[in-house]
Amino acid sequence: MTHSVEFGGENLQLHSWGALYWERESLLLLSDLHLGKITHFRKYGAAVPRRALHRNFQRLDGLCETFKPKRICFLGDLFHSHMNREWALFEQWAGQCPCELELVVGNHDIVSPLRYEAVGVLCSESLTKGPFLLTHHPLEQFEGFNLSGHVHPAVRLKGPGRQQLRLPCFYLNGRQMILPAFGAFTGSHVMEPRPGDRIFALAEDQIIPLQEPAGKMT
Amino acid sequence: MNTGKDPDRDVLIGQAIQWFRNQGWEPFPFQRKTWEAFLGGKHGLLNAPTGSGKTYALWFPILLQYLREHPGFRQKVPQGLKAVWITPLRALSQEIRQSAERITRDLEIPFTVGIRTGDTSQSERARQRQKMPDLLITTPESLQLLLATKGYAQSFRSCYAIVVDEWHELLGSKRGVQMELALSRLKTVSPSLRIWGISATIGNLDQARQVLLGPESEALQNSVLIRAQLSKKITVKSLLPEKMETFPWRGHLGLHLLEQVIPVINNSKTTLIFTNTRSQCEIWFQKILEREPGFAGEIAMHHGSIDKETRLWVEEAIRKERLKAVVCTSSLDLGVDFAPVETVIQIGGPKGVARFLQRAGRSGHRPGEESLIYFLPTHAIELVEAAALQRTVEGEGVEDRIPYINSFDVLVQYLTTLAVSDGFYPGEIFREVSDTFCFQAMTRDQWEWLLKFLVLGSQSLQTYDEYKKVEVMEDGKFKVNNRGVAMRHRFQIGTIVGDADLVVRYQKGGYIGTIEEWFISKLRKGDVFTFAGRNLEFIRIREMQVLVQKSARKTAKVPSWMGGRLTLSAQMSELLRQELYSATLPRDRQSLEIRSLAPLFERQRWESVVPGPGEFLIETFQTREGFHHLFYPFEGRFVHEAMASLLSYRISLLSPITFSLAYNDYGFELLSDRELDMQMVLDNDLFTVEYLMEDLQKSLNATEMARRKFRDIAVISGLVFTGYPNKGVKMKHLQSNSQLLFDVFRDYEPDHLLFQQAFRETFEHQLEEGRLRLALERIASQKVVWKACEKPTPFSFPIITDRLREKLSSEKLADRIRRMTRLLTRQGRR
Repeated sequence: MTHSVEFGGENLQLHSWGALYWERESLLLLSDLHLGKITHFRKYGAAVPRRALHRNFQRLDGLCETFKPKRICFLGDLFHSHMNREWALFEQWAGQCPCELELVVGNHDIVSPLRYEAVGVLCSESLTKGPFLLTHHPLEQFEGFNLSGHVHPAVRLKGPGRQQLRLPCFYLNGRQMILPAFGAFTGSHVMEPRPGDRIFALAEDQIIPLQEPAGKMT
Repeated sequence: MNTGKDPDRDVLIGQAIQWFRNQGWEPFPFQRKTWEAFLGGKHGLLNAPTGSGKTYALWFPILLQYLREHPGFRQKVPQGLKAVWITPLRALSQEIRQSAERITRDLEIPFTVGIRTGDTSQSERARQRQKMPDLLITTPESLQLLLATKGYAQSFRSCYAIVVDEWHELLGSKRGVQMELALSRLKTVSPSLRIWGISATIGNLDQARQVLLGPESEALQNSVLIRAQLSKKITVKSLLPEKMETFPWRGHLGLHLLEQVIPVINNSKTTLIFTNTRSQCEIWFQKILEREPGFAGEIAMHHGSIDKETRLWVEEAIRKERLKAVVCTSSLDLGVDFAPVETVIQIGGPKGVARFLQRAGRSGHRPGEESLIYFLPTHAIELVEAAALQRTVEGEGVEDRIPYINSFDVLVQYLTTLAVSDGFYPGEIFREVSDTFCFQAMTRDQWEWLLKFLVLGSQSLQTYDEYKKVEVMEDGKFKVNNRGVAMRHRFQIGTIVGDADLVVRYQKGGYIGTIEEWFISKLRKGDVFTFAGRNLEFIRIREMQVLVQKSARKTAKVPSWMGGRLTLSAQMSELLRQELYSATLPRDRQSLEIRSLAPLFERQRWESVVPGPGEFLIETFQTREGFHHLFYPFEGRFVHEAMASLLSYRISLLSPITFSLAYNDYGFELLSDRELDMQMVLDNDLFTVEYLMEDLQKSLNATEMARRKFRDIAVISGLVFTGYPNKGVKMKHLQSNSQLLFDVFRDYEPDHLLFQQAFRETFEHQLEEGRLRLALERIASQKVVWKACEKPTPFSFPIITDRLREKLSSEKLADRIRRMTRLLTRQGRR
């Protein structure tokens, strides 16, 4: 289920659901949940299966049980849209969650910070934790190491026999790591890796590190 | 009802005959039969080809009926719609209007004739809503839109006739279902309605009539099938290359035969050049002009993405004999009477007998004249098809058009349409809907399921849910009250789904046409592409518009339009096999086409074998791409698709393996990164018809076919919004990817009727289980010839180079990833 990776001198665990756990700080990082998206669609008459929205909460609970983190930090795009009733489910979940909750605000997070704070979620534009700078958008220039979301990274693989696969992934590029989207009804964006980039693909219940592409071209 | 004297039917028909004689014509028996049947109160289906005078067969009795009921017709015409003429193609509406107006003018009936299609302006639509024309010409989609307007029942009350033209074109499509549903409603709201269809010759004409009128309906009881039976002489000539050795094995353009096309154009007054795709159309147009610059201004192009003004201009120019040639697609397949057309050229296989006959019939358009059609094969094996086509014109078999069953997506759309306009009561609509062919077997449970889906967006109510679409009023009426829902639904009506279309404009203004988004998404600033016969330089996309400027550069990319891939019908496949097997006969018993293919067959024999009637050929070889396993049933693309899926599934049960599948009309390929033990495949009897349904069903889950069907279903039923760039409506916040939606349904609501429909449709319309079974039985009776080859053979070449592929895997994802060596990197692509 998990794969350990060293980044910024720290040992981080990547989980096959797209979560990152930093044991030393007891911190769970998640990005791009897009809660409320399914309800938003339904509100406008597009009948996306409602049951799908529970997956987010089930997985959140599952991760809490596995890692027992002290804190959870969401790297933006936590709630997809304007208020809708899915908020109540989040409120309920946040109320019974024993962890401290923090949100690095993303472009989709248009719900008022006051509402977040009312359910115990601290909001900020960015956060510094140890060597890491946590942001929603991957930064162009920064000090230390950057952990971010926003992109919904995926990778396309090719093999003999005209085989192709597209998989969501953790994307590591120098001092920057981008987390995959955690949300149940979210798409992904195919990256174009450069030599030296490191990729950790989400493959069902496993994390599979991919070879560095440099020097392996055919 | 008027109280004046009701003139005798023969007197009325006498008026029509007199009109014909005034033009110097004599009515055909089928026209008289149709007049008599219509005036005798019958419904019916008229089987008549294009250019036979079928419009007069039905406009006349519609107008005569009016005269009979309103002897005082010249003084005052009672307000309201009298008749509706449905045409599947907007391009035809002008022509139909002109023939109606010709009669009304001569008989001095002061009728207004209106057209309402996607091209009709907003102001004109508004005028029509105020006051309906007496005669309305429209498309199935626009008819649905009328049903989505308030008070539609009142507008249609006075309508006493509806004609569905080119019914064979609609029959095998979801637009046909849309038409069935509209008719089921009109039967109730227009009490004196007579329903008539017009169809070209297809294999299942009787069924076509059933679908049109309703399988158990009174209308069907009281109906006739009239066949025109005009025998028309058709001559087919193949255009053959001078040197066969250089003839390409694949390639869909056929440009190597350009030299042969020029004299054909020169020797004929007007030539129509039919291509199978719009991109092919664009290229041919350009290449002809490059080869013969003198043709500038004398040749034109016609396809569905070109703007309406230009299309109308082209059609008018053909009629006025101002054009030497028009390069076109199926956009000119139907209807329009182009008397000056002398010659037709078909580029590439038409893939169906009915279509080919129809295209052939475009030349020598006056009844009695001979039709001449040239066939231009685009690659070597297509010449076999040419030989088969020769025989089809002697009347050997025309294919069926298979009607859709239980298209719940179209029904969901239709019910929402009714809810948007005046609302509906389920009891009444259930009776109407279950009388249609499409929904005759729908169960009460399925109906209840759909109603719940419309109201709740699911099957149970949840407190936190905010689903909003149709509401149930106190009196039990289902109604859409939300204006946003209504607006989005009106935009969404229409069952033909494509990629999102973008408007192409010059930067300085000036509309050129529409183009599919995925093509544009591949362009970078400065790229030059060919569109509407011009070389255009891509500047940028702004607000869903593609801005371009003219370019003088010669070479350019050509947009390819996805459209439907055509496939051989069962009848064509049979003829094709017979022709192919003649390759083993002595030369004097071969057709010209097969003889000219001698070099190709020789090469095939050198590398492998040319199979005879009792043989089933399998080839295996290795290339840099992997291990190729080719099978040649010669059964047409759809059967091969099913067979490839079935076979790869069965093989994957034996041991974990991953395949990439490709197919064409002649055979299919299973490509893998390791070699198959072919002896094991043969020993395990993997072509058996036992457990066929079950295995095929399971193979569907393993491949992506249903996923692709689901895309259309999701759009039609309103599960996803596509956005409407043409209309300047952006709904980005509601656009989702149908792929994503498919996954969500698979994981959370796999029993959803619309999700299940994707699988059922793949089964019923794509895989053609019946044909597959016959094909497997045939293979069982054949001797398997397995050739381990050194390199790709002539037969295999078109298949292994095909890029549109299906995949199937029984391996664990992690195992597959570990064997993938190549990551697609920026470097890797260059």
